[in-house]
Amino acid sequence: MTINGFSLKRYRRTVLPLGLLLLVTVLACLDCGVSISQLWEGMVKGFSFLAYMFPPDWSAFGEMLQPVLESIVIAVLGTSFGTFLSLIFAVFAASNLTHPWIRQITRFLIGFERSIPEIIILLILVAAFGLGAMPAIIALTLGCIGMLGKLLADTIEEIDSVMLDSMTSVGANKLQVVFYGILPQILPNLVTYALFRLEINIRLSVILGAVGAGGIGYELEYAFNMLNYHRAMTAFLLILLMVLGTEQVSNLVKKRIKGREVLL
Amino acid sequence: MCSIEVNHISKKLPDGRKLLDDISFWVNKGEFVGILGASGAGKTLTLRCLNGLLRPDSGSVLIREEGGAEQDICRAGKKELRKIRQKIGVIFQGYHLVKRLTVLENVLIGRLGQIGSIRSILYGFTDGEAEEALLALEKVKLTSHASARTGSLSGGELQRVAIARAIFQSPTLLLADEPISNLDPSNAKVIMKIIKPLSENLPVIGVFHQPEMTAHYCTRVIAIKEGRVIYDGSPHLSNDLLVEIYGDELKQIEISYHSLPSSLVNEQV
Amino acid sequence: MRASKLILPSIRFRYRLTYLIAALTVLGAGCMFVGFNPLGFFTEFHYVRDLLGEMLMPEFSQVFSNPTVWGSVLQTLSMAFLGTLFGCLAALVLAFCAASNVMPVKWVRISIRALLAITRATPGLVMILIFVIAVGLGAFAGILSLIFITVGTFGKLFAEIIELSDYAPGEAIYSVGAKRVQVIWFAVLPQTLPSFIANMLYAFDINLRTAISLGIFGGGGIGLQLNMAIKVLRYKDATALICLVIVLVVLFEKISDYFRKRILHSVSLH
Repeated sequence: MTINGFSLKRYRRTVLPLGLLLLVTVLACLDCGVSISQLWEGMVKGFSFLAYMFPPDWSAFGEMLQPVLESIVIAVLGTSFGTFLSLIFAVFAASNLTHPWIRQITRFLIGFERSIPEIIILLILVAAFGLGAMPAIIALTLGCIGMLGKLLADTIEEIDSVMLDSMTSVGANKLQVVFYGILPQILPNLVTYALFRLEINIRLSVILGAVGAGGIGYELEYAFNMLNYHRAMTAFLLILLMVLGTEQVSNLVKKRIKGREVLL
Repeated sequence: MCSIEVNHISKKLPDGRKLLDDISFWVNKGEFVGILGASGAGKTLTLRCLNGLLRPDSGSVLIREEGGAEQDICRAGKKELRKIRQKIGVIFQGYHLVKRLTVLENVLIGRLGQIGSIRSILYGFTDGEAEEALLALEKVKLTSHASARTGSLSGGELQRVAIARAIFQSPTLLLADEPISNLDPSNAKVIMKIIKPLSENLPVIGVFHQPEMTAHYCTRVIAIKEGRVIYDGSPHLSNDLLVEIYGDELKQIEISYHSLPSSLVNEQV
Repeated sequence: MRASKLILPSIRFRYRLTYLIAALTVLGAGCMFVGFNPLGFFTEFHYVRDLLGEMLMPEFSQVFSNPTVWGSVLQTLSMAFLGTLFGCLAALVLAFCAASNVMPVKWVRISIRALLAITRATPGLVMILIFVIAVGLGAFAGILSLIFITVGTFGKLFAEIIELSDYAPGEAIYSVGAKRVQVIWFAVLPQTLPSFIANMLYAFDINLRTAISLGIFGGGGIGLQLNMAIKVLRYKDATALICLVIVLVVLFEKISDYFRKRILHSVSLH
C-alpha cells in the first residue's frame, strides 16, 4: 500500500528495526557509562601506556619459559581428557545409539555445562580444591565435553543407519558397533574438533591462569599488579607466540591428516 | 545346513492397515528363493522379520539347525538374537560397509558376533582370522583390493565385499535385500553368479525387483502383494502372474523381462 | 600389486599399542610436570562435597531483592550488545579491507591481516587489563575489550566469507561501469549477508559469556558481583548469581536462535 511513494511495509521492515536498534544502543551506552570524551582520553592513555610497556624485560624471558610450558601442558591435558570423555558422552547422547531418556538426560547435562562460562567453573573449583593446575584442567575438560559432546553427538546421529543395521545383523553388540562402526567414521571430525578446541583451550589456560591456575597467565596478572609493566610486556609477547605457535602446529597436523585422507 | 520356516507372520500399523498378512513359507538348504513384489508390498519387511530387525505382531520364524534344534527368532531375547544372527549373513541394498575401514577389515567385521566383545575391541582380529577373510575375498575375486579403503570402490565391488563378509561368517542362512537394485546389468549378473553357488550349502532368500534375474538364477519364487503371499513356485512367471504382482509398474518390468532372457540364454549360466 | 601392502592384524595391534603407550607416557609426564593428579579429583572429592553443601540452597531472596544485581544484569547485557554491535561493524570494515577480491592493494591487505592475527592471538585477559588502565574499572573497559575480541575472532572469518562469495555478479556490475563501493553493495553484500547475520547472532552469544568472564577482572556486570560474592565467602549468594547467569545465557541462546531463523528466512525471501 503506497501513499505518495511512502510504503508502509517498507517502513516497518527497515526503518523501524533500525530505529529500535539505535534506541537500544543509546540506552546501553548510557547504562555503561560510555562517553566519547573518555574514549578519546582513554585511547591516548592506552596507546601511551602500550608504548611505555616497551621494551619488554628481556631478562625475564628465561624465567617465563616454564610458566609458558605449564600453560601449554594444562591446555593439552584438558583437551586430551576432555576429548576422551566427550566421546563417551556423545555415544550416550546420540539418538541412534541409546534410549530416548538417556539421550535427553545426557543432552541436558551437556547443554547445562555449555551455559556456564569456564571461568565460573574455575572459580567454583578453586573454592573447592584451592589454587593450582587441577581446577584449571578439570574446568577445561568440562568445557571440552560441552563443546565436543554436542558436536560429536550430532555427527554420530548423521551416520547412515543402514550401516549400523548391517553391523547388528552380524550379531555385534553395542560396544562393537561403536568401536568398529562409529569410531572410524567420526575420527576425522574428532581430530578437527579436538584441534579447534585446543586452540580455544590455550587461550582459556592463559585466562584461567590469571585466576590462580598458574602458568603464563598468572605471570601476566602478577606483573600487572606489581606495576612491573615491562615484565608484563614480556609475558604478553610470550603469550602471543604461544597462541600463534599453537595455530601453526594445528594447521600442520590438519594438513598431514588431510594428506592421508586423499585415498578416500 | 538348515532350513527356515516362516509361520503366519503379521504386522499391523497403529491405524489398522496391514503391512504383513499371514505370511508363511518354508525354505530349505539348496534353494535359492527370490521374493518379488511391487514397491511397498511388504518384501523388505518380510526379510527384516527373518533376522529379527523387525518383530511381527504375531507368528513365528523358526530356524532349524542340522540336528533338530530350532529357535524362534521372533521370541528370542537380545542375547539369543545376537547368537542366532552370528550365523545369518545379510546383504543390503545400500552401502552398508564402514567406509573408512579397509576391505579386509570390513570382511573381518562379519565375525564380530562370534568373537567376544572384549577381545575384539582391545586386540582386534587374529592373523588366522585375517587369512580366512582373505579366502572369502578370493571367492569374490577381490583379494587384490584387500587393503584399499572401501570408499574407493565401485558399487559392484562394494557388493562383492558385502558378500565376502557374509561368506566369512560361515552362515547357515543368507538373506539379501535388493542386492542388485543399485547395480548396472553386467555387475548385477556378476553378483547373481556369485550368490547362486552359495545356495548349494544353505538356504538363500533374496528380495528382488528384477523378475528376469530371478527367472534365471533362482530355484523358486515367492510373490508378495499387499502383505500377502500370492504365489510360491517356479521362478518362470506367466504374463498374467506378472500383471497381478506388479499392476501399474508392469510396463517397465515387462520390457526387461521379455527382452533380457534371450541375451542371457546365449551365456553359460 | 596391492596385496603386498597388507598389514597383518597382529602387527597393526602392535603399532596401536605403541602409540597408546607413547601418548599415555606424554600425558603422564605432563601431569607430573604441573603437579596434577587425575585421581585426586576422586580422592579429594570431599572438598567438592563440602563446598556444595555451602553453596546449596541458593539465597534467592537476598540476591534478587538487591537492585544492584539487576542493574548489573542490565549492564552485562548492554556490554554484550554494544561489544557485538561495534565489534562486528569494525570487523566487517576490516574484513572488506582484508579480502582479496575487494581490496586490490596488497600491502593494505597484509597489514590488516597481521593486525587481525595479533588481535586474535591476544587473550581477553590482556585486553581488559590494558583497558582498565586506560579508561578505568567498569563496563566501559569491558565494552572496549569485547570490541577488540570480537574483531579478532570474526575479522578473519568475515574476510574468508567475503572471499568465498561468487565473483560473477561482481564482474557483471563492474562491466556496466559501477564503482567499487557499488559492487560491494549490490554483488558481495547480498550473498554474504545471511552468513554475516548468523555470525553476529552467534557473536552475541559468545560475547554474553565473555562479558561475564571479563566482569571478574573488573569489567563490571554480573561477573564482578559473582567474584565479590565468592571472595567474601558468601557462597549461597554466588550460587544464586550462577543460576541467574545460566538462565540468562540459556534465555538469550533461545532468543538468538529464534531471531536467526526469522531473519534468515526473511532475507532469503528478498
